Amino acid sequence: MTRNLVLFAFACLTMLGCNKSHNLSPAPETIFDEPGMHVVTSTFNQRTETISVLYGNDAALSHAGQARPEHVAGEEFKLVTWGLKPNPLWFGSDINGPLRSVETVKIVADAYGAARIDYGVENRNEETAKIAPTDSDERINFIFAQRASVFP
Amino acid sequence: MTSLKRKRYSNALAISASILFVAFTGMQVASPRVTNPPVTSEFHGPQEVTSILKRACYDCHSNESNLRWYDKIAPFSYVVAADVEEARKRFNFSEWDSIPKDEQEGKLWYMVNMIDAGRMPLPAYTAAHPSAKVTPAELDVLKKYVTDLSKANHTAGDTARIQQKAGLQTSNAPAKAIPTSVNGIPYFDDYKNWKVISSTGRPDNGTTRLIYGNDIAVKALEENRINPWPNGATIVKVVWNSQHEDAAGNVMPGNFNNVQIMIKDDQKFKDTEGWGFARFNGLDLKPTGTTLSFATSCINCHQLASETGFVFDIPTKKHAVKH
Ligand code: HEC
Ligand code: HEC
Repeated sequence: MTRNLVLFAFACLTMLGCNKSHNLSPAPETIFDEPGMHVVTSTFNQRTETISVLYGNDAALSHAGQARPEHVAGEEFKLVTWGLKPNPLWFGSDINGPLRSVETVKIVADAYGAARIDYGVENRNEETAKIAPTDSDERINFIFAQRASVFP
Repeated sequence: MTSLKRKRYSNALAISASILFVAFTGMQVASPRVTNPPVTSEFHGPQEVTSILKRACYDCHSNESNLRWYDKIAPFSYVVAADVEEARKRFNFSEWDSIPKDEQEGKLWYMVNMIDAGRMPLPAYTAAHPSAKVTPAELDVLKKYVTDLSKANHTAGDTARIQQKAGLQTSNAPAKAIPTSVNGIPYFDDYKNWKVISSTGRPDNGTTRLIYGNDIAVKALEENRINPWPNGATIVKVVWNSQHEDAAGNVMPGNFNNVQIMIKDDQKFKDTEGWGFARFNGLDLKPTGTTLSFATSCINCHQLASETGFVFDIPTKKHAVKH
């Protein structure tokens, strides 16, 4: 009985208990920033543990938003990919981790007026090698297949 | 001390002791009682789940409170009665169906995360009732339960045709009133030109989100000044229902679901840790909340992110968990 009372008194003194605290500090270097680029859509993949946001310039966005069904020279897409990690503050939510790669697809008009598609990938860390595909056609198709997300 | 002084001193002591005694007994008489109203709609779940919840949560969050004798002695009884009353108001396993069907699943996730963060059962309570503690193995049982529950509810994905915004593109459409939250925060489009600060997926509840920050918010992240965030910092979260996973495992956003906004103004939004909350649902952007108190439920849950200034979705460096 006294033991319980002592315990209870102790409990009253330690109202705050031992809440879990993480050592979180912001990682602003993961924020993608390129003027003139707008969000087209986003995707996450639990198998490859990656999360991506597809950006595009005005021309790219009006294609992906289906305002203009055909591709035209001048479109530029950037697919930014991060690693995926569990949100340390909420069990059940996955959030982007470090930046892995930025893939760029550009439609450029060549000297004869015909359009050419350029693909490039910039790796941001060694992990990227695992996901960076060697088949650029496959990546171009993947990026071109994305439809713009619906915003209000 | 002279003997006279000593006498006065012991007199005073005796008097205070009797005052305390009278007060103590008086408190017992007036002591609040926790009564158990009838169980109207009991929460149902697998036995291994309900047995954990019954042991750890039912004393406060149900009409089957089974309080120990020391919980009934003032002044403890005052604290306990107040906790039980507040706990039942938040949610009550004995009146489970008073929670709208589509919010029950979210409530269960909330519970799991409150336990995960060490906030429930109340630490002051488990110190006196160690048997109410949820062990790590039991927490895993609960985590698996909510994960499976959500999988069952959301595996279908959003197969509905994606609704496009109707009519707004036409230039001669009549100007619509701007949807405005009850606390005066209007919906705005500016965030579309802001930086995306993070991107999140909840495979379990079937949604995909993007989180945008205005320049003040991004600068605060760059300078690590987020506790508290500076006034004017604004964060917008856009939520879509996820489409079916494709053959390669990619999950794309489907139908637009809602937009949620947090605006920092420590004068205007004093009651909610300085954050003004707003939420707009569906393409017609119907505001959440009919009274100002809706934001209390927003901040209550966002307390779990108090370490990062009440914002969950910021990009963070690798971290070590401390207890
Ligand atoms: C000693 C009483 C007590 C016990 C036992 C207890 N709670 Fe609570 N709970 C409270 C009180 C009081 C609040 C409101 C104040 C707060 O959040 O601290 C609350 C709030 C909550 C909330 C927030 C609900 C909302 O809508 O705001 C959740 C979730 C919760 N409890 C889950 C649990 C779970 C799960 C358990 C068991 C593992 C549990 N609680 C055990 C007293 C209790
Ligand atoms: C039950 C818990 C809970 C409640 C209630 C809640 N939120 Fe959140 N909120 C979260 C979690 C968890 C996240 C981060 C996870 C995610 O959405 O990807 C979040 C994220 C957000 C974000 C993005 C910034 C951030 O903190 O990550 C905004 C804005 C937001 N919520 C607004 C609101 C508003 C407005 C309300 C009330 C109408 C509300 N929330 C109620 C749990 C909650």
